[in-house]
Amino acid sequence: MKKMLALVAVVALVAFAAPAFAANPFMDVPMNHWAYDAVGQLAARGVVSGYPDGSYKGNQPMTRYEMASLVARALAVVDMNKASKQDVEMLKKLVVEFKDELDALGVKVDKLDSRVAVLEENLGGWKLWGEFRFDAKFADEKGGLYTDNEDVDFDLNRYRIWMSKKVDDKVTFIARLGKGEGTNVAWQRYYIDVKMPWDVNMWAGLWLFDWEGDDGLYTDNDARFTDRSLQGFYFAKPFSMGEFALYAARKDTNTTVTGFDTLVQFDDDGNIIDEMDNVAGIQLAADEYYEYAGRVKFNFNENFWMSGNYIKRDYEVSEDESVWWAAMGVHFNPEWAFKGAYYKEDLGNVTGEDKPGAWQAILDVDQEALGFTSVWIEYMDFDENFKAWTDGPWDDYGTVTGKALGNYDNVLFVRLNQKWNDKWSTFQRYLSGSARGTGVLVDDTTNWTFGVKYYYTPALSFELAYDKIENSMTVNGLDDNVVRLRTRVTF
Amino acid sequence: MKLKKQYICTVLLILTLGVVSSGFASDKILSRWSKTNHYENDLGNELWITATYYASEYVEALVQSEAEKNLWTADEAEQYKYQLLKTLNLTEYIPIFIGIDNRGPSMHMAPFSDHITLWVGKKKLQPVDYDKRFNFKLQGKRDGFIYFPRYDEKGKPVLQGVKSIRLAINGNVSPITMGKTIDYIWDVVDDNPEKLYTGKAAARLELDRLIKRLEKLNDQKKELEGKLAEVESELQQVQKRVEELQRQ
Repeated sequence: MKKMLALVAVVALVAFAAPAFAANPFMDVPMNHWAYDAVGQLAARGVVSGYPDGSYKGNQPMTRYEMASLVARALAVVDMNKASKQDVEMLKKLVVEFKDELDALGVKVDKLDSRVAVLEENLGGWKLWGEFRFDAKFADEKGGLYTDNEDVDFDLNRYRIWMSKKVDDKVTFIARLGKGEGTNVAWQRYYIDVKMPWDVNMWAGLWLFDWEGDDGLYTDNDARFTDRSLQGFYFAKPFSMGEFALYAARKDTNTTVTGFDTLVQFDDDGNIIDEMDNVAGIQLAADEYYEYAGRVKFNFNENFWMSGNYIKRDYEVSEDESVWWAAMGVHFNPEWAFKGAYYKEDLGNVTGEDKPGAWQAILDVDQEALGFTSVWIEYMDFDENFKAWTDGPWDDYGTVTGKALGNYDNVLFVRLNQKWNDKWSTFQRYLSGSARGTGVLVDDTTNWTFGVKYYYTPALSFELAYDKIENSMTVNGLDDNVVRLRTRVTF
Repeated sequence: MKLKKQYICTVLLILTLGVVSSGFASDKILSRWSKTNHYENDLGNELWITATYYASEYVEALVQSEAEKNLWTADEAEQYKYQLLKTLNLTEYIPIFIGIDNRGPSMHMAPFSDHITLWVGKKKLQPVDYDKRFNFKLQGKRDGFIYFPRYDEKGKPVLQGVKSIRLAINGNVSPITMGKTIDYIWDVVDDNPEKLYTGKAAARLELDRLIKRLEKLNDQKKELEGKLAEVESELQQVQKRVEELQRQ
């Protein structure tokens, strides 16, 4: 019975246009056989397999179970390779024909598929993936708010190679080698993800956490206090409607001192107790600290959530700093959300307000609600000296506010996104910051952007944007504008 | 300052238009149970993950919406509902549909069931079945069902007395969501899937169930008949041997 070879040939010809000359691994399939290439292609893709002795036995009668198994494997492969709709439909018809046999095999096939998938994913032990972006910037000013020394920058802006290995059922290792803007290539992440008892999850190493991101409190360049990578231990314990989290981390700056020839140490009475020459390279402790934090988030139902967050920095030399904030969110319906947060910092020894606060209110509307655009309207009000611990929250294109948010009384930020289809989207940004100070050297900051984004494939996108900043960081006349073409590739 | 006022006025106008032009009731129901989270990392790479809970009102709204879109007759709509309910298998499972559109680095999620948890009250449920294509490296779009058990090991419905459920997906599934929690919450207290089992579609499903039951009973009958035949054969052999011994 030649049913096996016939079906194999049909499946191969319909579903796989290439490769046409796959090597045939079976010794007993003659090279001049009409189905030689078809068998080779399907064997290469794992759809058919031979007998343990390496033979194919193409003329042997096939059971309906074998046929059902073959069709099921072919269907899975076709899906993976994004075959045309017609190909899939034809194979589905074949599956329907052998439905009873597939049902009979169901449990076994599912278990095997699952096992094979896991084995494939863990083949070689490591998974690799990556991302990079390339910027071409044409600015108005030389060495202004967007570029380094010239008014044009072609820059391999950032790239990252990710890797992970599942060590065993409980432990996964994750690392990232990358280069940031203006930095050298470095290990930007390396940590283990461990499943502990009582549903506790632990990270140990250099990891990133983003509590403000979890609460949806920002959409532009950065959060205020989280979305940072730290070295230490992070523990998270989910429960039915929320999560507890806490961590202990340490920042070791390893700052090297240059220009010192001699280090002199004194006792309490001011007497010299030690004097060392040529000590360039000693470590400074002024910027080193322990960081402790805790958070709880609770969802009351699908419409209302609250969170409480606290972070403290315990410096080696300087005075300690801390911040706490409480956030809440209301979904009026699935597309309309209101979010708000109140922040309070303790800055230690500063001139003026040493416990500045801030509050934030956000209206977040999905595109589905309005049909043509999504809307993000954010208002944030600051006390004097309020500062962010991350990069400037709205500095997505050039330096707009920096970290010193207390230089402003308030900031209004609006972002609109229009997703036209899977390929094209457009967006607009607008920021208006009211300067705290007054005088001829001070003015309100304004920033606005128009942009268009195009996905050539899901892995490759281009973004063309025009951005203009006026009175950056409230400095009167500190203006610039840029046309930026950004290319992103992921794999 | 003038610019700011103009901008605010424009935005308020857009929002007002949005409120006025809010969608049909069925669209609202569909969007309530089908929720999309959008993530973007600092490189601007994007990820959309949609999770859909098949509440009874969602199924009804979906059937109605598809019928209106495709201009189906009542029979065609019933046929669609029948196929849908057959796929969902709501009598045994809590099905959740996951759709992923990844415009960022590849996602490696095998085994996918390790990354998914459904919190039902204090219970933490893992999938009993899911679309195996989620186990393969993913860029672009892929979607499929995951199924959670509707009854616990003692046969008690897990959703009984539960107000809200939370589906949590491990943020480590993508570099875009690392360090974040991906979750979806649905208030399921008023959901009653039994309401769906009325009309022609329900009758067909009942018929399917009874046919399967009939097949199973016939198989059991055949098996028992086989055993009975074996016992009778052995009885005859024993009887024959007894008679032989009595004759000696």
